[in-house]
Amino acid sequence: MTERDAIHQYLTALSKYLARLEKAAADDVIREIESHIYDALEQQEIDGDPVDAKAILAGFGDPRDLAAGYVEHMLEGKAPPKGFKAIQRVKKGATRGLFAVTALLGFGFSLVLLVTGVAKIFEPDLVGLWTTESANSVMMGMRHTPDGASELLGWWIVPIALGLGLGFAYWTKRILWILKGKL
Amino acid sequence: MENHTEMNAKWDVQLRKGTLELVILAALKERTLYGLELLGLLHGLETMAITEGTLYPLMDRLKRDGVVDANWQQEGQSKPRKYYQLSEQGKRKLTELTLRWRKSVEDIEKLLNSPGPQPISQKGK
Repeated sequence: MTERDAIHQYLTALSKYLARLEKAAADDVIREIESHIYDALEQQEIDGDPVDAKAILAGFGDPRDLAAGYVEHMLEGKAPPKGFKAIQRVKKGATRGLFAVTALLGFGFSLVLLVTGVAKIFEPDLVGLWTTESANSVMMGMRHTPDGASELLGWWIVPIALGLGLGFAYWTKRILWILKGKL
Repeated sequence: MENHTEMNAKWDVQLRKGTLELVILAALKERTLYGLELLGLLHGLETMAITEGTLYPLMDRLKRDGVVDANWQQEGQSKPRKYYQLSEQGKRKLTELTLRWRKSVEDIEKLLNSPGPQPISQKGK
């Protein structure tokens, strides 16, 4: 790639990233930087240094970052582009939806576990965790002992269900607290 | 030695962040310069070596803030160049920032010259 090609490529990339600015403002930026690059090249020649466009371009950094340096302050205080508010609304709506679903599932599951744990104490025959003989399915809940199934946990289901239930409730609360911060 | 150099470089970067505007205004005091000249001037000073990528967006912001004026000029056959100079507002700002800078240096000097455990005298110099 010749020196000119490298410069052209850099300026083309820069103008792409400056597209958010008004054309006159973007053109002025490009013109000034182009003028600097050719001036600096000329100076290299006069000084008898090897002509190296890449070294000069390196001083300007990545065209995207350079453009960001301009765009940042030029667009500061201006109205956000159309569609921006809508995106914020969708984001808020999504967070609200996530909040509701998390609350429902988290506390719902927690409640089921707690009820199971407590119910086992009063109705030990009806509540348990069973597995069928072929061991290809696991059943949990309040029902008559299924035929040919054996109970897995016995009385252990009480502390395990209560512990898991409380754990779920705690983590649901923590997650909801974080999500609330984003609403 | 390597660590020493690295520490100095980090210090220079940190200090420049806060003082860059003063540096640019001071460089343009009673001077009209275009970007490359301004950069060359700063590169001649040990702790002031900023990059093109820092200089140009900053100049644009200073122009928009009204502290520098910029205009394109063409001399003879040469390419047009964008020259910068202080605006009236920029001159006033430079005066104010100069006073603040000198006050900061004075305060730092005072701390450096007043080791503990005695309290630092609150009276002026």
